[in-house]
Amino acid sequence: MAHEILAATNAVVTLDVALPGIVWPWLVTVNMWAKSIGTGVIFMLFMLLRMHPESAKNLRLPTAIVAFVFINIFLIFTLADLHQPFRMWHIFVYSNFTSAIAVGSFMASGFLGLLTLLVFLAWKKKDETYDKVLLWTTILAIPVTLYTAALMAQCTAREIWQMPTESAQMILAALLSGSAVMILVGGNKLSYEAKKTLGVVLGLSAFMAFTIYMSEYIFGPMKAEEVAAVMDYIKGDGPYTVMFWLGQWIAYLLPMVFILLSRSSKSESILKLAAIFALVGLAIVKHVWLIIPQLLPMS
Amino acid sequence: MQLGFLVDLHLCMGCKGCEIACKVENEVPLSTWRLRVKYVDVGTFPETKRTFTPLRCNHCENAPCERICPVSALHYLDNGIVNIDKERCIGCAGCVMACPYGAIYIDPQTQTADKCTYCAHRVASSMMPACVVACPVQANIFGDLDDPTSNISKYIQVNQSNVQVRKPEKGTNPHHFYVGGGNVNLNPLASHRGEGHNLFGEIKNLPVGGHH
Repeated sequence: MAHEILAATNAVVTLDVALPGIVWPWLVTVNMWAKSIGTGVIFMLFMLLRMHPESAKNLRLPTAIVAFVFINIFLIFTLADLHQPFRMWHIFVYSNFTSAIAVGSFMASGFLGLLTLLVFLAWKKKDETYDKVLLWTTILAIPVTLYTAALMAQCTAREIWQMPTESAQMILAALLSGSAVMILVGGNKLSYEAKKTLGVVLGLSAFMAFTIYMSEYIFGPMKAEEVAAVMDYIKGDGPYTVMFWLGQWIAYLLPMVFILLSRSSKSESILKLAAIFALVGLAIVKHVWLIIPQLLPMS
Repeated sequence: MQLGFLVDLHLCMGCKGCEIACKVENEVPLSTWRLRVKYVDVGTFPETKRTFTPLRCNHCENAPCERICPVSALHYLDNGIVNIDKERCIGCAGCVMACPYGAIYIDPQTQTADKCTYCAHRVASSMMPACVVACPVQANIFGDLDDPTSNISKYIQVNQSNVQVRKPEKGTNPHHFYVGGGNVNLNPLASHRGEGHNLFGEIKNLPVGGHH
């Protein structure tokens, strides 16, 4: 943690107030995880309706319902994390548009409105209108999934949350979790070819996300002392080392291996296993990355 | 007018008078602080020295807390003070996460964000902040940074080569300066922080807002 200590100064804090605990706890992890799923399944449905329309046409209603449920989970956990949840309406009345939270709230609300419309249209089997609304829902899903990255970037105190990296990670998390959920939700409705496509998306997004994490792990500390200090929490015998590597293996490395195995053996069961691992692992990865910069003393 | 603070660390003797005055003036709840004095011991026995560093909100010109607050509960006053409207705050803690100085906390009584306001209510009545009044050695110098004849401006002019801010690399342009500070005072990564070296001995972390 103390990267700039000199033997000559041998500086030791001998009296100070105790450090604050975790400010954004596991509730925010669930928030990010559920939002990745809620937006990711929309991306995947949009893709499948173009690449495998016959196979994907029966997924309009289930996908809209899954997205609706997970975006509501995201919103409920966001609300639960507020210390004054009954003042949530202030965001819409006293909006400060330099804040990613305020902008994101409007976008997420609009997204939820579109999802509700999609559920209604799918229920009424108005596929043509559904597909038109899905286009706009997919477009809105991009900033909805990205705004948390903007929020993290606005946290000036947390050096490891950099905007270009976090935005890439948010999109990759949506692709990873979206493809994983669609593999599980697809069941018998999706053809094997469609599932293979989802497997490719899952495997590639896992590979890219893992590459970015490893790049930060190795090269981040060379750029900034605070990043180096934060990385110490996931290196050596750091308090989050085990959880970090557990997340990397479960979310990325094992699913990548499973995808390859499923392709070589044409096994849908292994593909489903990859999907389950990716979903569980993503929550662990997100949690570690959320917590570790909060362990660093600010003063 | 742009109000600012300067602490002459040569003068500060760590009496914590400012800390107590702030607590009383602003009714700051237990386990939270708007202003605190950090002790850092430097050197190896018998060549040792204790340094004292009062830490409070830096009232940044480019304040991350103001930018991230979704409801403008944190806002600028015309005199440059970054003030907080606790009635408007929703308690999202975005400001706590954004502040690179750890100057913002969640008030366990109101469950809203709170921090030093340079005693904006006293300043509005042409009084000095409580910590300035309480300091027995006038280590706290408060005044208008836009006025070259103010005490703070003169102090900065005289001590030009020795005026520092905390974490200048963050680009926040703090309106809070230190004279006589070193890396050990101003950089949290430049000193060891052993467990138990705090006001409550065995308590390592305080709950945020009294829950979570």
